[in-house]
Amino acid sequence: MRPEHWMFTIPLRLRSLFRWAQADQELDDELRDHLERKAEEYFAKGIAAEDARRRARLDLDGIEQTKEKCRDARRVNWIQDFVQDLRVGLRMLRKSAGFSAVAIATLGLGIGATTAIFSIVNAVLLSPLPFPKPDRLVRIAFNEPGLGLRDVPFSVPELDDLRNRAGVFKDVSTIASNSVNLTGADHPERLEFLVTHSNYFSMLGTTPQIGRLFGPQDFALGFAPVVVISDGLWRRAYGADRNVIGRTVRLDNDPYTIIGVLTPGFRHPGPTVSGNVEVFNTAGFSGYPAPPPVRGTRFMPAAIGRLKPGITLEQAQARLTAMAIQIRHDYATNYPARAQWTIEIQPLQEALVGNVRPMLLVLLGAAILIVFIVSLNIANLLLARASGRQQEMAVRSALGASGGRMIRQMLAESTLLSAIGGVAGVLTTVGTLGLILRLVPSNIPRLNEVRIDWVVLAFALAISVLTGLAFGLAPALQSAKTALSSAIREGARGPGYGAKTGRLRDALIVSELAFAVVLMVGAGLLLRTLRDLLQENPGFNPTQVVAANLSLPEPNDPKTDSYLSIAQQTSFNRELLRRMRAIPGIELTAITSDLPTTDLRFDYAQAIGALAIEDCPVESSLDLRAERIRISPDYFKVIQAPLLRGRLFTEGDEDGKQPVAIIDETTARKYWPTRDPLGRRLQFGQDPTEPRVMVVGIVKDIKNDGLDIAGIPHIYVPIYQSLHKNISVVLRTSLPAKILEPQIRHEIQSIDPGLPVFNISSMNDVLDRSLASRRFSADLVGGFAGVALLLASIGIYGLSAYMVGQRSREIGIRMALGARRWDVLKLILGKGVVLASVGIVAGVVVSAATASMMASLLYGVHPHDLLVFLAVPLLLFAVAVLASYLPARRAANVDPIFALREV
Amino acid sequence: MLTSVTEDMEMSKPSDLVQGTLDMLLLKILALEPMNGFAVSQRLKQVSGDVLQVSDGSLYPALHKLEQEGWITAEWKTSEHGRRAKYYSLTRLGGRQLEKEADNWGRLSGAISRVIKLKEA
Repeated sequence: MRPEHWMFTIPLRLRSLFRWAQADQELDDELRDHLERKAEEYFAKGIAAEDARRRARLDLDGIEQTKEKCRDARRVNWIQDFVQDLRVGLRMLRKSAGFSAVAIATLGLGIGATTAIFSIVNAVLLSPLPFPKPDRLVRIAFNEPGLGLRDVPFSVPELDDLRNRAGVFKDVSTIASNSVNLTGADHPERLEFLVTHSNYFSMLGTTPQIGRLFGPQDFALGFAPVVVISDGLWRRAYGADRNVIGRTVRLDNDPYTIIGVLTPGFRHPGPTVSGNVEVFNTAGFSGYPAPPPVRGTRFMPAAIGRLKPGITLEQAQARLTAMAIQIRHDYATNYPARAQWTIEIQPLQEALVGNVRPMLLVLLGAAILIVFIVSLNIANLLLARASGRQQEMAVRSALGASGGRMIRQMLAESTLLSAIGGVAGVLTTVGTLGLILRLVPSNIPRLNEVRIDWVVLAFALAISVLTGLAFGLAPALQSAKTALSSAIREGARGPGYGAKTGRLRDALIVSELAFAVVLMVGAGLLLRTLRDLLQENPGFNPTQVVAANLSLPEPNDPKTDSYLSIAQQTSFNRELLRRMRAIPGIELTAITSDLPTTDLRFDYAQAIGALAIEDCPVESSLDLRAERIRISPDYFKVIQAPLLRGRLFTEGDEDGKQPVAIIDETTARKYWPTRDPLGRRLQFGQDPTEPRVMVVGIVKDIKNDGLDIAGIPHIYVPIYQSLHKNISVVLRTSLPAKILEPQIRHEIQSIDPGLPVFNISSMNDVLDRSLASRRFSADLVGGFAGVALLLASIGIYGLSAYMVGQRSREIGIRMALGARRWDVLKLILGKGVVLASVGIVAGVVVSAATASMMASLLYGVHPHDLLVFLAVPLLLFAVAVLASYLPARRAANVDPIFALREV
Repeated sequence: MLTSVTEDMEMSKPSDLVQGTLDMLLLKILALEPMNGFAVSQRLKQVSGDVLQVSDGSLYPALHKLEQEGWITAEWKTSEHGRRAKYYSLTRLGGRQLEKEADNWGRLSGAISRVIKLKEA
């Protein structure tokens, strides 16, 4: 059409749209006018008035049809039809208010839960990191694949190579997480602390809320005397005072000046211990207290960088790999060939969220399954209603409604239902998102970015539309296909359980059951994993043990460090133990540097140091690694870990005496496979001046690194023979942690008031917390599975009840003709059993095929675990049989006279 | 349906003509003078010598379509009998459409005539 034609017709079309009622009235008037004139014409020709009017009407072929054709001629029809459909749909929903309420409620819950989980998936997995050009940011790792190690620490010259030699980075910064004691305030507090190079903030493109961030002027060989604090700390400790810039804060007894406050939304894009880094510092890592910056001294834990513009990740990786080979060649003494030291970069977002992706996707999948099941239930109910409306459809068809029109009408109804359900869902999400975020385990990163934005709303819309189509299409197509004649012929009773309708409904029930099976199997596997882990023997007895953490300060100036030497630390430790023992109710006390399952470091490679074992040839000793744990003599007694051979530490194993060690079974098996380790000597680190340590005992393996982690060798050394500042005190007591907390704090702070004491809890709670993430997924999927089971059983019950209702006449006749109760039961129950079997088998097949996708979330449980794959079908079958039995029982108990009378 | 009826009404069968032809005829009738729907069908019957008759069931949908396309416009007037009636008239756009369709029709009918008049070999 030509443009001006379009413009001219728009007012006409709009008029059709908005003044529809008036236009409709005019159409009516026009046709009546025509009829009168025609009748007059006939009258003038001599035909009687009555006849004339009848002829005129006949000539018109039916007023309603003609009107409909005229309306069709105005091509804006579909909008008007749609609006009318919506109005009718609304009326129908109001008529069956009970059904509508249930449908909207279940839809709302399903869509709400899915949208909530999607909002988390969107913020954590899909959105780019909140920094400028976030795809240029990478995490840098140094690996030794020849020894099977990833993320090994690195040295200052190695970092300089990245900066100067590689030519791929615009900026590179070390990141070192730690915790510090905040002193000088009301009470000492333990804060999470991040040390970086001075370009950290400029690399991330961050701007401060108040003051300034680090810049080149803050370069220092050691730690620069300036800090940037988080918004959270600013509000908590300084009451959001805008004059906080320039104030001094004491961290580990060292004074730092606050130069800036970050914006509330800023999060360090890396793993955090407790949720957020509160204090940022910068250092050059080349002066005290850092060790001398030589290539072989590797102490820096992690690094991030920003790639230069124009270079792709693959190109950068290729260059770094080549550079690594070159470096290995140039400095052969520092890089044993066997290790195959190399550099790896990974997009920062991937590094941050990669390991929570499987869990989140499983949760999203489970939620979507629930929405499917809800839709199937509603579809079934709508189908049941549709078959009751076949007469209505037939009459409308006679009045001129086309098949397409009727389909559109049914779709409008279900779209309305799903739209209202979708709105209810979004409201549910909005109302409960805060609550849900609190329940989500805090080790999921980027939770602060979760919000309901337009992407999430679009998702909710898409899900609503899909569910609307899913449960609308079936009954709509069904009703449109209904033959006119057969529907009217059915008589006053209403149509029976038509064969076609029945098949579709059966298919829906079977699908529902299959989905329910998939969910239940998933939940079963996760719950079994959780249960197994909870029952897993941690290698010690955690009941009646209370633990508390404390940290001795590490000031930069050694002169202010009152815990510098072994003698000072030993004296503190002994005093600590003495005071703890003095608390009434405490039976035994001990200290450890690594409380089981609370690894405050993030990579085992950093915790694991190199070993050299006496009597082992030099080349093969390069790959010897073990985790070193410092303990006081009574440690194994407190946690009741059995000693297998040799002896425990005594008070006599202190500084100046023969250094000793106790190893665990894994270490013994790995490093002394053929010989007795007792009496043998080893040494930590490659430096030949390191003292030789003698093995004096072997203990049973303890799950120190996590209930689901095994196989890491541990070597225990006396705390009196080593320097360590982050310790946990463990107490064997029958008193609960809550009661002991104030006393513990008091005692420790009497020794040194500047020491924060934190995380005082029972050992059982500590172990539970380590499983928080798994518990969350298992509980959530378990909840979904329960809902799925409920919905599936409601579906079967409804089907059965409907069958009974429709066939009550038939049942009455059968019983009158001599059928027994059992025969009737068999009739109704048979259907339920068949459907259940088909659905369950289908579900088991699908589960078996897809269970291996969940493998990364399981521990000690095979994805095709026999117990789960047997229990779930049996349970579902039993429930399905019960659900079809209940209405069947009612039918079988009815007096046949009543059934017949209802005809 | 627009039917073409030969002189002997009892023995003839209606033949269908294309919808577009009906549109063209209606436009032409309205080009002569504005009138209401009933009058249009009467006039068409009259000027074609009873050959072309529009069934009532097709007339009004066709008129509404023409109105939707903007080729005719309608006005409600009080008729001779004191009733309100809808009177259609041709628009400028309609006039152009009529010209176009008349041209097409001329070309089409000319071609058909030429074929029919071919002498058998």
